Amino acid sequence: MADFVMEAKHVYKTYGKSGKKASTSIDIKTKVEAVKDVSLQIRKGDIKLIFGPSGSGKSTFLRCLAMLDIPDKGEIYLGDECLTKPGVDLNKARARIGFVFQNIYLFRHLTALGNVELALRQVLKLPKEEARKRALDALKEVKVTDCVSKYPAQLSGGQAQRVGIARALSRNPDIILLDEPTSALDPELTGEVIDTLRDLANEGTTMLIVSHEMPFAREVAEEMIFYDEGTIIETGPPSQFFNAPNTDRARKFMTRIINRTTREY
Amino acid sequence: MLDVWQQLILLLEGVPLTLSISILSFLVGIAVGFPLAFIRVYEKETSFLVDAYEKIFRGIPEIVLMLLFFFGLGPYFTFPFNSAFFVAVFVLGLRSGANQSQIYRGAIYGVGNEQMIAGMSVGFSKWRSIWYIMVPQVFTFSTPGLGSEYALLIKDSAYVYVIFLAEVMTRAVQIRTSPPYDAVTPFVLAALIYIALTFPIALWLDKWGTKRKKKIGL
Repeated sequence: MADFVMEAKHVYKTYGKSGKKASTSIDIKTKVEAVKDVSLQIRKGDIKLIFGPSGSGKSTFLRCLAMLDIPDKGEIYLGDECLTKPGVDLNKARARIGFVFQNIYLFRHLTALGNVELALRQVLKLPKEEARKRALDALKEVKVTDCVSKYPAQLSGGQAQRVGIARALSRNPDIILLDEPTSALDPELTGEVIDTLRDLANEGTTMLIVSHEMPFAREVAEEMIFYDEGTIIETGPPSQFFNAPNTDRARKFMTRIINRTTREY
Repeated sequence: MLDVWQQLILLLEGVPLTLSISILSFLVGIAVGFPLAFIRVYEKETSFLVDAYEKIFRGIPEIVLMLLFFFGLGPYFTFPFNSAFFVAVFVLGLRSGANQSQIYRGAIYGVGNEQMIAGMSVGFSKWRSIWYIMVPQVFTFSTPGLGSEYALLIKDSAYVYVIFLAEVMTRAVQIRTSPPYDAVTPFVLAALIYIALTFPIALWLDKWGTKRKKKIGL
């Protein structure tokens, strides 16, 4: 049995190319180093929170963990299995990882129930009744029970994101990765989703969350990770970040984010 | 000498054949166009073959292909190329496949790659994600284009008079070439029949698509 549910070892991911465009001979640099030598370990039941400026590569790193983006270099482990080795069945691995997207990405042609049920039926191959039961249980857990037969376009943002969370957790994944689950929502709807995440946290769900919801972070996160310019700058318990971050950059960022938060509420 | 009603009845007897040619070609077009569109978007290595196919079938008039397959190849092959009906559906279906591939390709971009990523995030492989998540949405997204493609097939089925299938157009030409060589009535009647065949279905597809798109928020 592996020590960690998920582990990243020296992961790199670069986007774009740098070089000359032949026709113009102008240097174009579109190379973005989104993930540079990032390592991370997550134990069962851990709740870790990644935060940092926009465009620093947090989302890319999360996608790399789920192998939705393939890292250029480095290793990703899901339990004992190394996902970055060639020949690994990534689809099977992804079925064991829950992923919640910033922009939700529910399947638009399926109802809320259909969204949760689809993978249970077609990926886990559960019989019809069992899949339905598990889907309804998951929807109950995120407190979406009155609109299970509505289509995504008919749901509010908060409901849709909770369905997104239900879709991720219905497969009983080893870990749920959440990519800014509330940043596309207004404060009221954010509250709904945060409540759901708090419930999951209390049940001991293993989660890695990209978020800037600081009160929530303080409450549930065991560890906070400050991520900037493609790499981890500082890690520590919430108290460290809220009282006295070790690095300058983290201190500046925390000051700004706490000021913003107090202004907004 | 046939009066207008007799001419109309004669032409209407060709409608089932016109419809079966266009409907079958349309289905062949779906069967060909759907996979081609997805190959074009998601299999970059082989997409040039799809491109070549589209350019060839969109670039040659179907009347040329029909004459070539029926008269040029028919005598050297037995079934199916000696069957005019097969040649008609074959040529129109493959041409429609090239057109529909382009319609679906636009729709795939319209639906967006995020849906694919979401599908893969729950454990689907690329092709299963395409099947369960992209295909239903792409079809909905394509309905306006498919409506005009269907109308195009009804109209282009008229070309099969060159290989003597007794559909609406062939019958109109027959009336024209028999005494008293009336060149107006049969073609006006044929025009009305074609309008009646194309219009309702294109309209219905468009309406159905709009309603469904609204429902799923596309």
